[in-house]
Amino acid sequence: MSAVPADAAGGVTTGGREPAGVLRHAGIDRLFHWLTAVSVLVLMGTALLPIMGVRFDWVPIHWPAGLVLLVLVVFHIVRSMVWRKLRSIGFSVAELRAGHIGKYSVAQKLMHHAMGLMVLGAVITGVLMLKRIKTPFLTRDPYIFGSHTWGVVYVIHGLAALAAVTLVMIHIYFAIIPENRMYLRAMIRGWITREEQRSRLDANDWLEKKT
Amino acid sequence: MELLRMGHDAWGRLVLQGISWDLLPVAAAIGAIVILGHLVYRRIRRHPEHRG
Repeated sequence: MSAVPADAAGGVTTGGREPAGVLRHAGIDRLFHWLTAVSVLVLMGTALLPIMGVRFDWVPIHWPAGLVLLVLVVFHIVRSMVWRKLRSIGFSVAELRAGHIGKYSVAQKLMHHAMGLMVLGAVITGVLMLKRIKTPFLTRDPYIFGSHTWGVVYVIHGLAALAAVTLVMIHIYFAIIPENRMYLRAMIRGWITREEQRSRLDANDWLEKKT
Repeated sequence: MELLRMGHDAWGRLVLQGISWDLLPVAAAIGAIVILGHLVYRRIRRHPEHRG
């Protein structure tokens, strides 16, 4: 997917000349991101358009898209725990004081955690709600929970849907503003230049490891 | 504005049915406020003379 090959240290080259930058997102992570984006947008469209008065048979589109998201979430969790450093998503005291340290800023991590919480809430309750509809692999049984418990499940699913509206708006805005275009390019093509990374993240542990 | 959707079950008991979709414009408004707030912040930061 990357048009620019990476060198052994994670640097990328342009046309075999001197290194132009570093690989910020591997191809598999970019694929994960864009598949997640598509499934979340399909889920939002199929859930929210009928509420806004656009009538169509949304359930047969909604739940398969939810299953795709479930597979992506499981993949992301396993990949993060086995092949990546899980502690890299946490916040250090130094980074909270400085604002920017390492590969991701505090704001980027906060957005990831908010999105993660929203997606987990939607996926877990969505899987439970599959018992209320006919699917090829589950026997329908809406009586596994009482009406009060189902109400709580629906409230959490609905809250996740509302959070998705707010978070997707904010995420897209911060992705397309000019000063963040390098992050958008990195999520499309994989790489970021060292100058771009340094320009936003002063004490850059991640960049130093790449050299 | 309702926060929750309530209904009645087969026995006529009041049951929780989910979040009220009246909150959908509120969720969109929160997103819009954050975006507008950041646009104002960017403008002030780029033009320090505008700082009060």
